[in-house]
Amino acid sequence: MKIVLQNLTKVFPSRNKKSNEEVVAVSDLTFTIPDGKLVGLLGPSGCGKSTTLYMISGLQKPTGGQIFFGEDDVTSLSPENRGVGLVFQNYALYPHMTVKQNILFPLQNLKGADKLDKNTMLERALEAARLVQIDNLMDRKPSELSGGQQQRVAIARALVKMPRVLLLDEPLSNLDARLRLQTREEIRRIQRETGITTIFVTHDQEEAMSISDVIVVMKLGVVQQIGKPQTVYDNPVNLFVAKFLGTPPVNVFKANVKGGKLYINGEAVLDVPGVADRDVFAAIRPEGFIPDENGAMTCELSSIEVMGRDVSIVSKNEAMLTPTIRSIVDADYKVSATAQNVKFNLKPHKVFIFDSQTEERIYFGDQTAPETGI
Amino acid sequence: MADKLMSTMHEKDMQKVTAMQKVTKILVQFLLYAFLIVMALIIVFPFYWMIISSLKNTAEYRLPVPTLFPQEIMWGNYLEAFTAANLGKLFMNTVYVGIVSTILSLVVTVLSAFAFARLEFKGKNALFAALLATMMIPGELFTITNYVTVTKFGWLDSYTVLIVPFLVSVFYIYLLRQNFLQIPNELYLAAKVDGTTDLKYLWKVMIPLSLPNLISITILKMMGAWNSYVWPRLVTSTDDYRLITNGLRDAFTDMSGQANIPVQMAAVTVVSIPLFLVFIFLRKYIMKGVSRSGIKG
Amino acid sequence: MKNFLQKIKFDQWKAWIYLLPAVVLLLIFTVWPIFNTLRMAFWNGYGLFKELGGELTFEFGIKNFKWVVGYGGFITCLKNTMLLTVLTVPISTILALVIAVCLNAIKPFQRFLQTIFFLPYVTNSIAIGMVFEAMFNIVGFGTTMPSYGIINNILGVFGMDPVNWINAGSSYWANIAVLTVYIVWNALPFKILILLGGLQSVNKQYYDAAKIDSTPRLRVFTKITVPLLSPMIAYVVITGFIGGFKEYSSIVGIFGDDMQAVGGESLNTMVGYIYKQLGANHEGDASAAALILFAIIFVVTMINMYVSKKKTHY
Repeated sequence: MKIVLQNLTKVFPSRNKKSNEEVVAVSDLTFTIPDGKLVGLLGPSGCGKSTTLYMISGLQKPTGGQIFFGEDDVTSLSPENRGVGLVFQNYALYPHMTVKQNILFPLQNLKGADKLDKNTMLERALEAARLVQIDNLMDRKPSELSGGQQQRVAIARALVKMPRVLLLDEPLSNLDARLRLQTREEIRRIQRETGITTIFVTHDQEEAMSISDVIVVMKLGVVQQIGKPQTVYDNPVNLFVAKFLGTPPVNVFKANVKGGKLYINGEAVLDVPGVADRDVFAAIRPEGFIPDENGAMTCELSSIEVMGRDVSIVSKNEAMLTPTIRSIVDADYKVSATAQNVKFNLKPHKVFIFDSQTEERIYFGDQTAPETGI
Repeated sequence: MADKLMSTMHEKDMQKVTAMQKVTKILVQFLLYAFLIVMALIIVFPFYWMIISSLKNTAEYRLPVPTLFPQEIMWGNYLEAFTAANLGKLFMNTVYVGIVSTILSLVVTVLSAFAFARLEFKGKNALFAALLATMMIPGELFTITNYVTVTKFGWLDSYTVLIVPFLVSVFYIYLLRQNFLQIPNELYLAAKVDGTTDLKYLWKVMIPLSLPNLISITILKMMGAWNSYVWPRLVTSTDDYRLITNGLRDAFTDMSGQANIPVQMAAVTVVSIPLFLVFIFLRKYIMKGVSRSGIKG
Repeated sequence: MKNFLQKIKFDQWKAWIYLLPAVVLLLIFTVWPIFNTLRMAFWNGYGLFKELGGELTFEFGIKNFKWVVGYGGFITCLKNTMLLTVLTVPISTILALVIAVCLNAIKPFQRFLQTIFFLPYVTNSIAIGMVFEAMFNIVGFGTTMPSYGIINNILGVFGMDPVNWINAGSSYWANIAVLTVYIVWNALPFKILILLGGLQSVNKQYYDAAKIDSTPRLRVFTKITVPLLSPMIAYVVITGFIGGFKEYSSIVGIFGDDMQAVGGESLNTMVGYIYKQLGANHEGDASAAALILFAIIFVVTMINMYVSKKKTHY
């Protein structure tokens, strides 16, 4: 089932009673989540992604705008009647119930056409448990489980009633690094197997990029860009999106355009035909550098980190706005570690140019301007 | 698995559900408030009855169908209550006993709590455990021997007998010790390095930091004095030393036949009002103290 | 090194100075009574000897206990105490639980109502006992028409005949009913305070999760609220039992010291019995009764703790 958010807005009244300042958590959000996809809501903390998720679940009421499940307007429907599954950040497993009781709980509440008999319930619970591979832990209490196991129970509990929409709030934030990798693959697998439209919230761009069909990048309650992870990475619409996606992060420079050429630190590094003369920010992906003795861009070499397949060249430059310039190049390129300077040529499609005032993208090269919605 | 997806709702159902949802919500809120208001009325009714009865004359009080508000307000009942139950003297006694025993109790409690929280001495933990163990024993068990003891001391009919025997409360020591322990030890060590004496440290740092608990203890102790009944009744026999609660019950049970209930209610109101005033102004401390202690008074 | 040892010695000495007032008072008024109560309880006929001014010869035995259990009206007191406890603890706990849950579910006036429900706590149980006495009392038999008291009048609105609750000739069960109402009224504030505090500390996400799963209200209450609150419920039940076994002043409040309204001591409780023996200079019997009371409270508390441990395991 597809989900449509239309001009969705959430304003929280000020906590301080004296001032009438309101906090706009989500502002005029409009986008469509296609049926059966895994969607990642991505952004730094305070960007309104969790609020958006809770509005979709019904636990929070929007101040304005509408939410559609399929063709149905569910905006004023309470969470009880929405048929969604929600995995909380801290799992919210009932501490006094066993794993089995926790998973059975939502089934025992089903009414009307969805009502099940006892055996079917047990079967369904077991099926959900098997899906997340915890069917051997059914009689344990949540306090006897590890974080990763609790996480799986929470997913099983949300999945067992086969909701029309599955929502996950920072599902991996409480897990250690190894479990994180493993669990995110499982979320992907489970979503594929069930085909349930799934939305998850995260502040970790790598997590969102690696498993989502579509990512929605948000900042201060406003959607910045929506698209397939690779598209958004390759073609960011503004400086914020460019900086937010990618590890290591993009390198940002103070630059200017003069006579159709991009100048960084006084060197003409790239042709940018058709751009009027002005001050800009230039963002270069780490993989956008090609070491070349006769390269156009000169940087002061700091160190070289060999990582096997790749080499990471750390350098400095007067125009840089990030602490260092980090470029990742193929290990075949030989750069002398004792050299004072290093010179690069740039891959045009890895260089993004943004207006210095609006921070919006102003030059797209041979790419077409990306759409902000889908 | 996809075939088992939850059923979706149709447009028509949805409007119905949305409407139902609103009705249920309003109905539930209505029932909640209705229940709470009825219960609240039951809770406050005795207070209401106490006050209006204290202002009625005897004839009106005895009407077959009681009036819910006095037809003629009889302030005179209060004057009569003061003389009949000797409330003035008993009131002063109670205030005196309450203040003195609270101050002394605070001093003893603070000193012991400090010793248990900050000083090192042999047998500290054993002593503390022994003190906690005495908290399990019902107070009546102590009362018997204490009665014998104070009789031997010749303390009957004195302020001393009302103040001294129950000055130390293990519970208060425990409460304050826990509070003191939460204050970082570094502060104490820093003070020692600066050459601050223990008493000065106690006065300048520990006491200000545990003020909320000390206030709770003060209020509970004062309320204890105000409400104590059994012990003062046992050890005092004249109005010179009796406390207010004793006067209350005894003054009016002596009367034979038809008691003058409005005057009685006036006396009860006089005794209750200081408690209400304390409650209104210090609610926060009382509720905090009570939720920790689970004791009355 | 010598200096250091001196310092340790001084610290020891200092700690005891701080503890001196508390320790002296506790030795006299807490520690000695524990031993003395045992001594008096097992010293056959302790009070009687003293009263006669006779030479005290120590005779160890359980005569006092035998007398208390056999002839002293103690069994009546025990029965009354048990009855009141068994009636009031469940009623007040359930009522307090329902009120606390309702209070927790409202927003406007929550603080105000919470304050109202706490009011009975800050009262003098003798004084308000007298108010309850007045409310249940039948006055004015002598006049043309008796005034049955406000409670009977209110019940009359619902079609009930007037009941002789506490006046001369009233029945035992009518007396017990009045006491139950008063004790429950008195016990509610503390229980509501504790349970509401517990409810407010329950993680709200459990309720959100229940909402997402379309859990009916009653099921939320029985399957989530009550189990999550079980440690608090156990706490109020245990303290309720302890308080119930020590019930005394509420009865004095309504019926007076000598329980005169109904005559004799048919309404007396265990604590009342102890004081009565003490007043009659039967310290030995009072001590024996106090020890029995302690034993009962101890056993009941242990049972409570055992049961609650089995029921509140998470």
